[in-house]
This record gives sequence, structure tokens and C-alpha cells, in this order.
Amino acid sequence: MSRYLSFVLVAALASVPLWLHDFYVLHVLITTGIFIIAAMSLNLLLGFTGQLSLGHVAFFGIGAYTSALVSLGFEIHVLPDVTVGLAPKPVWFAMLAGIAVAGLTGYAIGKLSFRVRGAYFVIVSISFAEVVRLVAVNWVELTQGPMALNNIPALTLGIGPIELSFLRKPSFYLLVLAAMVVCYIIIVRLVTSRAGRAMIALRENESLAMSVGIDVTRYLVIATIVSAAMAGMAGALYTHYIRIVDPDIFLFIYTVTMVIMVITGGKGTLTGPLVGGAIFGILPEVLRAMAIRPEVQWIIYGVLMVLVVYFLPEGIVPAIKRSLAGWKRRTVDAL
Amino acid sequence: MKKIAVLAAAGLLAGSAFSGAVAQETIKIGVTQPLTGAFAASGNYVAQGAKIAEDEINKAGGVLGKQIQLIIEDNKSNPTEAVSTVEKLIQKDKVPVLIGAWSSTLTLAVMPKLDEYQVPMIVETSSSGKITTSGNPYIFRISPTSEMEAKAFQPLVAKMGIKKANFLYTNNDFGIGSGAEYSKMLKANGVEIGVMETMDPKATDFSAQLAKIKSTGGDTLFVTTAVEQLTLILKQAEEQQLKVKIVSCGGSNSPDQLIDQVGSASNGSYHTAFFPPWFPEVTKNPDVAKRYMDEWKKRGHNVGGLTEGFRGYDGVYVAVAAIKAAGKPDPEAIRKALWGVTVKGIYGDIHFTKQGPAGKESGQNVPVVYLVTIDNGKVVRTKF
Amino acid sequence: MDQLLQHLLNATVLGGTYALLGIGLTLIFGIMRVVNFTHGELYAFGAYCMYLLVMLLNVNFFLAFFLAVALGAALGGAIEILLLNRLRGADIDTTMLVMIGAWIVMQNAEQLTWSGVALSVNSPFPADPLVLGPMSVSWNRIYVFAVAVVLIGATYYFVNRTRLGKAMRATFQDRDTAALMGIQIDRIHTATFALGSSLAAAAGALLGPVFVVTPTMGDLAASKAFAIVILGGLGNVVGATVGGFILAFAEEIGAGYISSGYRDAMGFVLIIFILLMRPTGLFAQKERIG
Repeated sequence: MSRYLSFVLVAALASVPLWLHDFYVLHVLITTGIFIIAAMSLNLLLGFTGQLSLGHVAFFGIGAYTSALVSLGFEIHVLPDVTVGLAPKPVWFAMLAGIAVAGLTGYAIGKLSFRVRGAYFVIVSISFAEVVRLVAVNWVELTQGPMALNNIPALTLGIGPIELSFLRKPSFYLLVLAAMVVCYIIIVRLVTSRAGRAMIALRENESLAMSVGIDVTRYLVIATIVSAAMAGMAGALYTHYIRIVDPDIFLFIYTVTMVIMVITGGKGTLTGPLVGGAIFGILPEVLRAMAIRPEVQWIIYGVLMVLVVYFLPEGIVPAIKRSLAGWKRRTVDAL
Repeated sequence: MKKIAVLAAAGLLAGSAFSGAVAQETIKIGVTQPLTGAFAASGNYVAQGAKIAEDEINKAGGVLGKQIQLIIEDNKSNPTEAVSTVEKLIQKDKVPVLIGAWSSTLTLAVMPKLDEYQVPMIVETSSSGKITTSGNPYIFRISPTSEMEAKAFQPLVAKMGIKKANFLYTNNDFGIGSGAEYSKMLKANGVEIGVMETMDPKATDFSAQLAKIKSTGGDTLFVTTAVEQLTLILKQAEEQQLKVKIVSCGGSNSPDQLIDQVGSASNGSYHTAFFPPWFPEVTKNPDVAKRYMDEWKKRGHNVGGLTEGFRGYDGVYVAVAAIKAAGKPDPEAIRKALWGVTVKGIYGDIHFTKQGPAGKESGQNVPVVYLVTIDNGKVVRTKF
Repeated sequence: MDQLLQHLLNATVLGGTYALLGIGLTLIFGIMRVVNFTHGELYAFGAYCMYLLVMLLNVNFFLAFFLAVALGAALGGAIEILLLNRLRGADIDTTMLVMIGAWIVMQNAEQLTWSGVALSVNSPFPADPLVLGPMSVSWNRIYVFAVAVVLIGATYYFVNRTRLGKAMRATFQDRDTAALMGIQIDRIHTATFALGSSLAAAAGALLGPVFVVTPTMGDLAASKAFAIVILGGLGNVVGATVGGFILAFAEEIGAGYISSGYRDAMGFVLIIFILLMRPTGLFAQKERIG
């Protein structure tokens, strides 16, 4: 995407709150944006580094819960009469904490899991997410379990006398848009850097990469940390927008949603998750407006996913690119 | 290229259908219930009861000259999803009043949104005390609290000769609240409390908890959960030869369904009920009860759901009474009107008393609590 | 002590069904290298078949079981032929994504057909359990255990003593040589998938009447199946059997003495732990990783 085009697109998106007064549509755009960020983070791991991590929602949820807990404050008994507590902290601090903890978890997972490869890695990643979910359900003292963490404060930023509150939808929309742009830039920078090239080499042929001296594990871990931290940020944004979080956030179905976004959009491409995220963020609402039941909606998703894998195995974005290139060639030939 | 065209065309088609149909002029009432997930059975019954009321009211001419329309959303037995349904009902469908959300956890989850958007909600099932004592003036509950339920059970403690009681409840607000209230009441009546075991609302295997309960030697087991888990608990208690009196609390126990699915293992168990379809003549408004029961059976709904569906039925009637008194489908007017409504419902004579911190009270109804026993495959009223 | 005996008894009965689930998946995952996300759905399918046959069509309980298993095999074969055949030779990511798609479609189709309400299947067994001293077990569970043992034995015999079984094992060990030897790889794949799926359906048809039937019951079953397969080593029938019992015991003892809430976590914790220690599983045969 050319620089000019990107600017125009971002400016157009930023102007939305000015003319769109349907708050429900704005709500859909916000949640879609958050899921796009999560999809971008998964794409880094799945698309660029070639690791089929199906536990991604764990990072999203850990970011969400950490941010919620730090902003609400908590107290737990580590021993029968010894408590560890934290007073509520400002939301921006909590969100940073969420990103940090998620990134740290990514580091730990990266270091441990990459001893295991292929199908085994897939299973380990799923199991990890499930264990985290069960901990969230059962460690009631910390997470409130199925009763959910409620009344999570919204983000407010104060610089001197000026205070920005992100409680209302228009301001939160702009926040999510800004976060999306930042994440996109981070990924572009990472992928075009030396580390990024190493990751791609890893994806294409791991043994060959190792044989030319690329430290495979190191770059995998870097990718996981960035990916996890970004997913954690998406989770933190989500939790301070919806302002409630419960253990079902860790359900496998959300990982599946992110995977669908990445795969249909085009894994390993920069704009793939944007397209995939946009489609699968907005599609549920379109289907709901057509009074289609959620089960049918999911069946459509499943079928769509299978079709994309068969017919457009590289995703929508590469397919469009190819047909555009073909069109360009043909028009040039015709002249 | 062809494949892209096909996909793009499909996308465009889907997008163009987004424009949405033009709706007729109706008065909308939002309903959020668990139609799928751990509480699906109960949620579906409540929705069915609500729809019976909707049709009855519309046949009689609706309210304020217009027909009412229930917009029923599935909160999937999940608190985050419950918030999402309320968001949609208020923002998109612009409903002036809501009924929901069944489980206490779900109701507590949506309460901040009610406050934010200033729309009243009629709570038809939830039992946690917190709901009406948190200072939310948009809550109007027609169902009893766990505290009221435990108080109603009190006379039976001595009669049943309970010496040591154990608890098994779901680890959400419903179960925990019920366990807390009943154990408080029992302790005040000199009963020793054994173990208080919990279970995940989605669990199906309770052998571990039941084995532990068996080893404590208590004589009575108080269970609080919905009917799905209750069925399994009764079955598994029989398997493990847990020879104690089982009392199910919370009123969402559908004894008929238990008899049907559990058979003889349900004999001798006690259940709290807020509507007894086996002897409706003792209720405050037996004619209303009869009308509801006849229509329910006519529609072929599961008889076991009678004890749950009436909550939706009463909820709709209360909402409509408030809309009528308010004179317009406006949330604030309806909220004010709710304080003054009296409805002859299946819960009894429904009206709201103030509960909670001054200035921000919630409305609470005081329904009747019944106790029934399953005796030889039949449900009978427990003799005090 | 009584509690312990009861737990051990429960674990033994549970282990039988877990072993069935695990064996079914180890054949598919091991031989075909397909991360079969539909395994849980076949389990649910078996249970729903029982509901349909026994409760709605009034078929004899035991006959219904056979039909459920047969239908499970048919469904498995159909999935293989329709979806996986074209992907022969594709990488593991692609097949996995297709399986995820199939899983989503199946589970939601089930929910659409039966709604999300939990369904009960009546069994012809007496309600009173069999009492053995301090322990008791329901007749239903004894039946489940017995059938599971028979099926495990039958599968073992089939895989190790029949020609088709030998062909399967040959395909697993060295696909190219097997093809050179004249084994019809396509048919082997379909048969293996059908066999694995039928075992999952059997497990569901056995446990459905014990608990309740819901559209999401397969999810937990599938993850436990994966744990068992990892425990026992890919493609190893004996390993999967032992793995099934190990998981059942870990769950029962863990739930009984540590925490009942974390019961379902046992399987996952085991997977993570074992794979970190021995990336090829406990009983794995020599094979390339990844």
C-alpha cells in the first residue's frame, strides 16, 4: 500500500465519529478494530514465523485480566494468613501492565514450547490456553471465576488540567484506530528488519535457516513476545471498553475466530489480517440484521473457511494482488 | 479470477441486505435469556412463558393502542454476552424496558449498563441479594431473594430433624448466595454445617464432590443449581448410595422433569418452588395460573417447564402494566410507573417495595415460597 | 479408605471410555497425521444418535448402540472422502484448518437441530447400583466398561492380526514402501478415519446415557483424547489404552483429593508436562518430530 493511500485511508477512518451517529454501528467498528489487532498479532506468529499457535486467545485474555485486576485492585491469600494485595492503579498503568504480563507469558511459552514442533506444538498451545481458562474459572479469589470481573473502569488520561476520558464510544473508537495504526507500523518495521527476514527464513525452511547460522529459537522467541504483547494490548483495550471480563474469554472458539480472520485474509501478508478482521468482524452483524441465527452464522463461517483453504489457499489479499497484477499486465498489453 | 468474482459478489449481496427491513409500529420489550449454554433449559422455558403473555396481550389489543413485540436475545449463559445483548437491545432496538437476565451473575453483569443508559429492567428469576442492594434504581425484581427462600424453609428444619447439613452449589452468584443464606439460617437454628462443595455450572461429573459429602456423615444435602445439573446429581447420588435427604433450592428445579429423567432416584427429595402447577388452587391468583397452564399445555411445551415459564409470563405482564401507566414507551416514565404497578400474577400480587441504599433503591416484590416433595413419582405439597 | 476405593472404581470405569476415545484418535492422528478436530463431534454424534434412536424412534437400547457406531463409521468415512481426499500431501496446517471448519459446521448443525438444551437418554438398567462393600457402581457404568473393554480388545486384534490392520500399520511406518507394495493408500486412509471415528461415536453412545447430551460435549472429550494420544504415543493402540486409564486415574484422584474444579485441567497439565519432558510422548516409537 502506498504511503499516500494509507494516509487517506486512516484519515477517512478517523473522520467516522464525526458523521456516524449510529452508536451501535460504532460499537461494531470498535470491536472489529480490537479483533483486527488480535488478528495482526496472530499473523505475526502464524503467517510470518509459520508457527501454528492455537492458544493465542490466552495472551488476549491474560492481557485483559491483568489490566482489569490492576485497575480494580485485588487481594489474595497466598498462605492461610498471608495476603498479597494491590491497590487499584490508573487504567493506563493497568493496560501497560497487561501488555507486559502478556509479553512475559509469550516469552515463557516461546522458550518452553519451541522444543516441541509440528502437531505437538499445536496441541501444547491449545492445552496452555485451556489451563489458563480453568485457572481463571477456579481461582475465584483472584478472578471472581464465573461471576466475572465487573465494573472495570474506563480509560482516562490526565495531562495537567486537561483530562481525556475514553468512556464514550467516539473517543474509544479513535483510541482503537490509533492502536491499530501503531501495531501495523510495528509489524511492518519488524517484518522488514533483519529479525523479520530471519523469521521468514524460518518459516520457509527451518533446517536450512539453521544451517546458515540463523539462531532459530531466538527469533521465534522475539516473534512470540511481540505477538503476545500485541494480543495482550488488544485484550486490555477490550476489557476497558466492555468493562466486564469472564473466563469464557479464553474459550477456544475465539482463537478459531482469529485464525479464520488471518487465514481468509491472507496469512503472511501485511494487509491480510485487516481484510480478514474487517470481514469477520462485520459479517456477524450483517447476518444478525438478516435475522440469521448464530448457529447458521457459524456454519457459514466454517464453510467459508473450508472454501478459502481449498480455492484461495493463500487468502483473499494475495488473490486480489495476483488478479490486479494480471489486469495491469493485460491492460498494458492491450495498449 | 472467476473465484474472486464469485466471492466478491457474495460479499456485495450480503452487504446490500444490511439495509434492514422496515418494521411495523410496535412497542418493543427487550428480553435477554440464556437460550444456549449451561442454563439453556430454564432460559428457554422463561422465553416460552413470555411469548404466551405476548400473544395473550396482543390478542386483547396490545397496550396504548399498539401491539407489543418481544425482542428476545440469547445471552448464552455468559456474562460478557449478556452485556452485549443488553447493549444491542438498548442501542439498536431502542427498547424502553427489559426483562432478564435469568442467572444472578448475568443480571449483575448487565446492571452497570442499565445505569449508563438509564433503562429499567424487570428481574424475573435471579435470587442474589446483591441485585437489589447495590443501589441501582433501574432494577425491579419480581422473583424472591435467597434470603426470603431460606426464611420460608425455616419451619421445616425442626420438622425434618436436620442435625448436620452439607451443601453442593454452583460457584456463581446464584449458588454461592443461596449457600450463604441457607447456611446462615441453618446455623441460627442449631444445625451443624458440614462441607460446602462447589461445582462449575457446566460440569457433569460430581462423583468427587458427592464422595466427599458422603464421608462427612451429614443427614441432609442442600443443592442449588439448575435442573440439568440437578438431574445428574440425583442420579449420581443414587449411584454412590448417598442416603441423605436432598433439598434443592433456588426454584429452578423443575420437579416434573426430574421425575421424568431420574425416575425413582428422585423419590424423597424436597424442592422449593415459586409456582406449584400440581396444586394451583392454593396460589394467590389461581385463574391467572390456570390460563397460563392451559395455554402452555396447548402449545405442547414440556410440562416440566411450567415451574420456570411463569417467570417470563409475569415479567411481560408487569412490563405492560408499567407501559400503560406511563402512557408512553419511554424508559424514564416506565421506571417511575413501575413503582406504582400492582399486577395479579402467578408470583402472587406483584408490587415493588423499596430495597437498598436510600435515594437509589431498587424494587423488590415479595412472592410466596412453596415446598414440595417427590413421593413415589408424584409431586406433593410438603406437610409442615 | 472407602473414598479412595470408590475413586479407583470410578476411575477404572472412566478409563475404559477414555481409552476408546484415545485409540480412535491415535489411529487418525498417528497414521494419517491429521489433527482431527472433528473427533469430539463424532463423540457427540454418537450420543445424539442414541437419543434419536432410543428416545424418539423407540429402538432397542443395545441395537441403537450398534447403529450409532455404524453411523459414526459412515460419517467418518464421508468426512475423509469429501474433505481430506483432495488434501492428500498437503501440509499439516491446511488439513488442520479444514478440520476446524468441519468441526464448526458439525457442532452448529447439531445445535441447530437439537437446540442447546441438555437431553437425557433413558437406559434399561435398574436405578439401584451394584453395591460391593463400601463401593457402589451403577449397572449402566458396568455395561459401559464391559463394552469398552470388548471394543478395545477388538480394535487391538483388528490392527494387529488382520490384513487390513497390517496394511494400516505398514502405511503408518512407511507410506511410500507400502504404496509400492500395492497397498491402496486412499482406501486405507478412508478406512482408518472411519474406524477412528466409529470408536469416538461408540464412546459417545456409551457415555451419553450416563450423563446428558449437549452440543458442546465433544469439545472436552476431544481435548482429553489428544492428551491420551500424546501420553501413549502416536499410532500406538496399547499406549492409548494405558494413557486413557492414566488420565482417568489422574483426574479422579486429583478431583477427589486436590480440587474438583481443576479436574478437567489434569489432562492438559499432563500434556504440557509430558511434552516438555519427552517431546515424543511416553510410549512413542522412533519417529521424526515435526
